[in-house]
Amino acid sequence: MASFRAQQSVNQRKTWMLLGSMFSLVAFVVYAVGLYFGQVGFSIVPIAVVIALVSVWGSYWASDKIVLTMTGAKVITEEDHPQLYNLVQEIVIASGLPMPKVAIVSDAAPNAFATGRNPEHGVIAFTTGLLEKMDREQIQGVVAHELAHVANRDTLVSAVAATTAGALALMSDLLIRMMWFGGNRQRNSGSNPLALVAALVALILAPIAATLLRSAISRRREALADATAIAYTRNPAGLRRALETLAEDSTVVNQKSTAVAHVWIESPLDARSTAKLFATHPPIEERIALLRKMENGQL
Amino acid sequence: MSTSTVIAIVIAVVILGWLIAQYNKLLRMNVAVDEGFAQIEVQLQRRADLIPNLVETVKGYAAHEKEALENVVQARARATAAQGVQDVSAADGMLTQALRGLLAVSEAYPDLKASANFAQLQEELAATENKVSFARQFYNDTVRILNQTVVTIPGTFFKGIAKVGEREFYEIEDPQNRQVPKVNF
Repeated sequence: MASFRAQQSVNQRKTWMLLGSMFSLVAFVVYAVGLYFGQVGFSIVPIAVVIALVSVWGSYWASDKIVLTMTGAKVITEEDHPQLYNLVQEIVIASGLPMPKVAIVSDAAPNAFATGRNPEHGVIAFTTGLLEKMDREQIQGVVAHELAHVANRDTLVSAVAATTAGALALMSDLLIRMMWFGGNRQRNSGSNPLALVAALVALILAPIAATLLRSAISRRREALADATAIAYTRNPAGLRRALETLAEDSTVVNQKSTAVAHVWIESPLDARSTAKLFATHPPIEERIALLRKMENGQL
Repeated sequence: MSTSTVIAIVIAVVILGWLIAQYNKLLRMNVAVDEGFAQIEVQLQRRADLIPNLVETVKGYAAHEKEALENVVQARARATAAQGVQDVSAADGMLTQALRGLLAVSEAYPDLKASANFAQLQEELAATENKVSFARQFYNDTVRILNQTVVTIPGTFFKGIAKVGEREFYEIEDPQNRQVPKVNF
C-alpha cells in the first residue's frame, strides 16, 4: 500500500524534468537568437520575460478570487452543507493543511476544482451535480484529490509553466516580426538563407513545443494529485469510484472557457476535440486503472 | 584581512549554519509529533462529547439494549480519563469497538434509524471516527519521519544535544488481545 509514495516521487521527478526541459528550450532559443540577431536579439529577452511575468503572476496572485468569479462558485459555511464541511475537515486533518475555503458551483455536471496561490489561500469547489451523484466515500476521494493540488502547490507550478511558455511565445513572435522586416541584414550581412530558414522554423516550433510541455506538466500534476490523495485517505476505492462516476456522466460543466479548463478534476473540454498531446488531464480510464492497481496491491 | 582568513570565516559560518539547521530540524519534527498527538486528543474529545447525545437518542427507541449502551458509557469514561500514548490508544480502541456494537444493535430498530436526529448523529459520528483515524495516521507519519531522522546520519549525531529521541507510534490494538490470558490451575 506504500505504492502511493513511489507514485508521488515519480510524478514529482517528472515534473522537474519537464520544467527543466522548458527552461532548456528557453535557453536554446535565447542562444539561437543571440547567434542570429546579435545584441538586438538579446534585448528582446527581458522584454518578453517581463511581459509574461506581469500577465501571469497577477492572475496567480489573485487566483482564488479570479477563478471563483469565472466559475461562479459561491463560498459556503459549515451550516450550508455540514457533510461536505466534515469531509473537508477530515482531509485537512489527514494532510495537516490549513482549512481551505469551501465553495459550491451550481451546475448539474459533476466536477470539482482547487485553486489559490498557497495553502493559506486555498479554495476548493464542488458542483451541485457532484454532491448529488456521489456518496460519502466518493466525495472524500474528490476532496482529497483537490486538497492534494493545494498541498502540491499546483497553482504555482502551472503559473511557472504558463510564464515560461508565454515568454517563449512572445519572444518568437517578436523575432519573427523582426525577421520579416529584415532587421538583421545590416548587422549580419554574411548570413546564408539556409540559416534564416532554420531560425524561422525553430522560432515557429519552439512555442508549440512549450505548449506540449505545459500540457505534459499539467497531466503529471493530475497523476500526482491522485497519488497524494491516496496518501491522505489510504483508500483508492473512493477516488476510483468517483472517477468512474465522472467517466460515465456525459454532462459537461456549463462553461467551455479554456482559460480555467485545467483547474477541474475532470476536463470540461470535450475529450475528442482535444488531441491527447495537448490534453491537460491524463485519460480518465488510465487514472481509474492505476487506482485499481493500487487497490489490489499490484503496484 | 587576507583572503585565507575570509575563506576560513565563510567556511565556519556555513558549517555553523548547517549545524543550527540540523538542530532546529529535529526540534521542529519533535514539535510536529506533539501537535499530531494533540490533534488526536482534540478529535477523541469531540467524539466523547457526541456520545451522551447518541446514548440518549438510542435509549429513546431501544432502552432494553442495556449491555451495548453500558459498554459505550464505560468505554467513554475510560477514554476521557486516559493519559499518554499507550493508555489513550488502548481506551480509543475500546470505545471504537463499543460504538460499533451500539450502531450494529441500532440496525434492528427501524424507528430509530428513521429519526432525523439519529441520521444527523450518524453523520457526525462517521465524520468524527474518520477524523480520529486521520489524526492517528498523521501522527504516525510524523513519528515515522522523526524516527527515521533520529536513527540515520546526520540526525543521529544531533539527537543528544537536541534531547530528541524516537517517539511511540499510536497503535490501536484489539481490546481482546490486550486482556491478560486467564490461566486455570
